[in-house]
Amino acid sequence: MEAIWLYQFRLIVIGDSTVGKSCLIRRFTEGRFAQVSDPTVGVDFFSRLVEIEPGKRIKLQIWDTAGQERFRSITRAYYRNSVGGLLLFDITNRRSFQNVHDWLEEARSHVQPHSIVFLLVGHKCDLEAQRQVTRQEAEKLAGAYGMRYVETSARDAINVEHAFTELTRDIFALVRSGDITIQEGWEGVKSGFVPNVVHSSEEVTKSDRRCLC
Amino acid sequence: MEYETKSGRAGPGNPTSPRQSVRKNLDFEPLSTTALILEDRPANLPAKPAEEAQKHRQQYEEMVAQAKKRELKEAQKRRKQLEDRCKLEESIGTAAQTWNQEILPHWSTVCTSRRVRDLWWQGIPPSVRGKVWSLAVGNELNITHELYSICLARAKEKWNTTAAPTTETETEDAGSSDRESSLELIKLDISRTFPQLCIFQKGGPYHDVLHSILGAYTCYRPDVGYVQGMSFIAAVLILNLDTADAFIAFANLLNKPCQMAFFRVDHSLMLTYFAAFEVFFEENLPKLFAHFKKNNLTPDIYLIDWIFTLYSKSLPLDLACRVWDVFCRDGEEFLFRTGLGLLRLYQDVLTCMDFIHMAQFLTRLPDLIPAEQLFQHIAAVHMTSRNRKWAQVLQALTEQKRSGARQPGAESLS
Repeated sequence: MEAIWLYQFRLIVIGDSTVGKSCLIRRFTEGRFAQVSDPTVGVDFFSRLVEIEPGKRIKLQIWDTAGQERFRSITRAYYRNSVGGLLLFDITNRRSFQNVHDWLEEARSHVQPHSIVFLLVGHKCDLEAQRQVTRQEAEKLAGAYGMRYVETSARDAINVEHAFTELTRDIFALVRSGDITIQEGWEGVKSGFVPNVVHSSEEVTKSDRRCLC
Repeated sequence: MEYETKSGRAGPGNPTSPRQSVRKNLDFEPLSTTALILEDRPANLPAKPAEEAQKHRQQYEEMVAQAKKRELKEAQKRRKQLEDRCKLEESIGTAAQTWNQEILPHWSTVCTSRRVRDLWWQGIPPSVRGKVWSLAVGNELNITHELYSICLARAKEKWNTTAAPTTETETEDAGSSDRESSLELIKLDISRTFPQLCIFQKGGPYHDVLHSILGAYTCYRPDVGYVQGMSFIAAVLILNLDTADAFIAFANLLNKPCQMAFFRVDHSLMLTYFAAFEVFFEENLPKLFAHFKKNNLTPDIYLIDWIFTLYSKSLPLDLACRVWDVFCRDGEEFLFRTGLGLLRLYQDVLTCMDFIHMAQFLTRLPDLIPAEQLFQHIAAVHMTSRNRKWAQVLQALTEQKRSGARQPGAESLS
């Protein structure tokens, strides 16, 4: 049985190969850290409900893309129908941070006439000792692009809920204010059903810091 | 009122039960009834009325009888399974003999015969699989073992020169060439190839072999380089062939038009392949096709993964190998036919799903896929559309694209 949701948002997750895109999404959607995962070829799909206010649920449809540069010509076709995006880099891999600009350019040039609300995510923040990108410079970069910045860890379940929920809230606010509108032929935002009753048994909020592995 | 007693049976569960000894004399002992004991009431309580005792006895006997029936059925099922397994082993044995003694020695003359093709469809025995694949894929590129050694040596040289500086002074090379990063990517991907098999990971028996083949390929075809998905193809070949022969098969396999189109990510050509697929999709499964269209589920969403890895990531490995068998026999057409077979097999489930569920289902197929059933569905797919075969449809679409006015929106996949 499909739970009742107010809106459906399509999110796209991008960033260099092996920055941990799939692991972050799987932590968010399955509540566990996948020790072993194979490289994404093309796209993978995930979904989860998020409750942003009591009784107000958003269904997130998450597109997990292949990170290798070669696949960009494929993945670029998927920007247009996304309303939000998580742009990941690995805080222990400087190059993945340097490529953030390219990813953003790539997305911006292929999303016309729409736009994507991006969140910059510094991933693998549990590996503090191997950090190659400081929080300050990442925040500065995010600020320059008008994005929020969050540091996450799929392994230790740090800020994973926070990252997705914040992005969802931001998009929700833009939808409510009318800056983002539902359009025929655009998959970014879809309207669901207004819930009359809140089914407490279908609560989706999961504890953030639990490690199930 | 049934008690599961698998564990209690062997242990000193209730050694004093008088029924236990009685049952030991039975030929067939239903496991699940050993804990069903009909007892009279303890002596300190008034005895059951005769009527009630009779009723309980009857209920008890019914329960035992039912349990026996069930056990008997299960035992039969187990015996059947064992028989099937033995039969399968036997048939693999005889098939291997046939392949080894009758087919392989006369390959070029018999490989297209009806009998061989039929045997081929049933699956190549694992012991000769590599040999048959090698022969079927061929070596159009004339790659020798020496050439492989040369490519490997060159790859090793590169690893040594790039491995040293990356640890310390990796600073201002933001615009790193795709080639360099692909060497790095290979390393990262090797351990992510069939992770559940635990043989390609660092320290595993095939880690270095996989590394070598992929590295050698980037030197053999620097214009193609390493593309994610390749590691799965190389891994499947390694499981069936010696290193150098695996490399030869790998390079030749990737050199086929369809694989080249995908691994070079020739987007326009990929779209032509998807369009051809849709022609046969609509022809074979019009209802499902309409459902996909309605939900904007385009073939790129599931076909990219299936075609790139030749199903080795999406199907259980033994089943993927059977797909490879016929792919080696029939060529690229079979990859798309398999895709249609999968859609046909799961047609009913898919028709009840919305976009995201279908996308999730197709990119993560069930763990248990009935092999025989899938092959029946694949066999039922007609690969002709208005009297045109796959190659002709593809050809027509390619020409159409080349000559026809290219719409500006045609580049978009969605």
